[in-house]
Amino acid sequence: MNSQMTVPKEKKTFKQWFGSRKVQKWVIITTFMFLPLFLLILFTYIPFGKMIQFSFYKMKYIGPRTFVGWKNYIDVFKRSECFKSLFVSLYYMGGAIVQLALALFFATLMVFKVKGSGFYKGAMFFPYLICGIAVGFIFKFFYARGYVLDSILQLFGVAAEDCPMWLQDLKINNISLAATSVWRYTGQNMILFLGAMMSVDTDLYEAAYMDGANKWNQFKSIILPSIKSIVVLNLILSISGSLSAFEPPYVITNGTMGTGTYFVIMNRLAHENQKVGLACAMAIVLLLIIVVCTVAQKLFFKYAFDDGTDDESKAAVRKRKKAEKAARKAAKGGMA
Amino acid sequence: MSIKLSDEKKEENVMKAKRLFFAGTAAAAAFCMSAVAGAEVPTIDSINVGEDYQDITATVKILTNRTDIVDTVYKGYAEQFMELYPNITVEYEAITDYEESLILRLPTGDWGDICFIPTSVNKDELSTYFIPLGDFETLDPVYNFVQDKSYDGQVYGIANGGTASGVVYNKRIWEEAGITELPTTPEEFLEDLQTIKDNTDAIPLYTNFAAGWTMGAWDAYIGVAATGDPDFMNYTIVHAKDPFADRGDQTGPFAVYYTMYEAVKRGLVEEDPASSDWESSKGRMNSGEIATMVLGSWAVQQCKDAGSTPDDVGYMPFPITVDGKRYAGAGGNYSFGINNQTSEEQQTAAMVYMKWLLEESPIYADEGSIPALKSGDLPDALADFEGVELLADNPAPAGEETLFNEVNNESEVGINNNDYPDCEILEAALYDSSSLEDIMADWNEKWSEAQEYCGVEVFE
Repeated sequence: MNSQMTVPKEKKTFKQWFGSRKVQKWVIITTFMFLPLFLLILFTYIPFGKMIQFSFYKMKYIGPRTFVGWKNYIDVFKRSECFKSLFVSLYYMGGAIVQLALALFFATLMVFKVKGSGFYKGAMFFPYLICGIAVGFIFKFFYARGYVLDSILQLFGVAAEDCPMWLQDLKINNISLAATSVWRYTGQNMILFLGAMMSVDTDLYEAAYMDGANKWNQFKSIILPSIKSIVVLNLILSISGSLSAFEPPYVITNGTMGTGTYFVIMNRLAHENQKVGLACAMAIVLLLIIVVCTVAQKLFFKYAFDDGTDDESKAAVRKRKKAEKAARKAAKGGMA
Repeated sequence: MSIKLSDEKKEENVMKAKRLFFAGTAAAAAFCMSAVAGAEVPTIDSINVGEDYQDITATVKILTNRTDIVDTVYKGYAEQFMELYPNITVEYEAITDYEESLILRLPTGDWGDICFIPTSVNKDELSTYFIPLGDFETLDPVYNFVQDKSYDGQVYGIANGGTASGVVYNKRIWEEAGITELPTTPEEFLEDLQTIKDNTDAIPLYTNFAAGWTMGAWDAYIGVAATGDPDFMNYTIVHAKDPFADRGDQTGPFAVYYTMYEAVKRGLVEEDPASSDWESSKGRMNSGEIATMVLGSWAVQQCKDAGSTPDDVGYMPFPITVDGKRYAGAGGNYSFGINNQTSEEQQTAAMVYMKWLLEESPIYADEGSIPALKSGDLPDALADFEGVELLADNPAPAGEETLFNEVNNESEVGINNNDYPDCEILEAALYDSSSLEDIMADWNEKWSEAQEYCGVEVFE
């Protein structure tokens, strides 16, 4: 009886220990994390690690592998077609800009009261729901000689022989292809913009209206600053997306007639020439290019379009700093 | 008997559970299956179809690339066979993007029982995935094209019939244009196309550029048809210096690509190759809107089926004459192979079905192809090949079985497996961006580099 009293801590049973708040917290955290982490590691990190490993081998999908060190990477930089294909991506980047502008335009229209805006939203978003391969087939026939686009143009009085060859003319075929991805992603960008715009306090529009601001002023001074971060995000996603454009050229032209993007070339090397190691190296080089582009864009937006903090605009900060500097200088001058 | 069976089953289950516990699922399942069964798998020539192995109960799964007829024609074959062998169930699975999917599925071992062996499996890798069907010496006199899938004296796959390489044409249009004799040289062929363009409304030569593989189909003519040399594809070209150079006598690989290049350059092809469409081209060939297409003989039947005038569709040899003689290459279609990761019983059942398909089924008459059996009759579609010598490519000499593939892949010229270089020839002619001589010089250079890389002895 006495000895029991003197023991300061009772030894906990496993059940008690397990039931304690601290342990329960960790149990719950690990069990909730397990599934997503397991899937993420199984389907993303392990394959990615394998890809890095493969990039140092000369290998086919099946059969023996030989370790070749950095040779694959050196080959990527030596092969002219790899980096030439990045120029094709410029068309898709141009498309991305047009796509963002269109999406902003439509989102702004929708944010002010429009009749049937629900229908328009649905209709604009719809292309995003179609799988990329199907989009490819749609446009394959859309652009085919004498098919949809040519027929529409003929309705407007363009002679059949004046219709350009949309997929064959080297001047326009990449634009034709980039347009398909603009068609596909504009609606999705618009919805993202619209979501951000919805969070803008409507009183601001009213106040601005009272002060005599027209729609353009409202867009420039209220909407755009409020959704800046989502615009930057969309821009970054679109630019990195255009570096890895694949479906339109793969399905519509198979990368022929000068429309082969980096991904198409990579796919061809891996699957037709069975140079899997080289294609893995190309994938990693592309990853690095995308990382560099993204960081560069982030830095660019940070310094070029920084509007300061919530309380003070960047211009105001600059003005204040300048004034402080001048004051210091004046004070120094006074001392001397 | 039934008790024993259930014991066996229990044991199998226990084993399965144990293995599953310790190893990955697919590999373990395959391992158990092969560990349990007992009987030896027979060679294909020893099977007497219709009599042997009536007692086997099995489900045989076959993978095929023919998504278009898997539920109609192929299912019909399966039903005919199941009448003969009621205990064996035959199932087909059609795969779009066949080559690429199969390469990923083969190494798992868990894909089915019979498949068309993908072309990218090298000969020395055949035994990793497929069971041997018999000796080369025994099977070669019986079946066509077995050397294609033989290694080390064993046959691992038998071709599902074969095709002769030639040119599909519309007889009516060629006659209407006033052509009475089929061309025998590339120049004559191009002149005939010009005549068709001048005298009829048909497209003289439809390239089907947009489909891609239709351009790769031109590679089929650079061997026997262009050189008359059955060793060309597996030996000569591997060791030749500059195999693509102009021979100056309208023969050899250069002459084949010259035909394509010049046809495009002289405007004898469709107006907008980039928007050509393969599916509709078959019907247009049938109706006479298209006069000529350069495709294997398998395409003949498809063109005949695609319209109301099947008798207009004809097939002629590729227009090249070597030293006064005409040749045409004949080659096997995809070969059937049997999975080596399943039980012996499965494998035997698969082999029985395969033999029935190769020998008894109406598949070759239906598809208009050269039958698998050497004793079978040539199909009607090859009537224009009278006097033309049909030759299959000889196998590579021992020890060099994989050399062609290695050089071909390393060089990226991609004969018969990469369509893009052929597409580039058409592009060059269309945009007038480079001459055929330059392209062929580039191919030769890549080929020489690959020969050097693979350590191939080059004969001048």
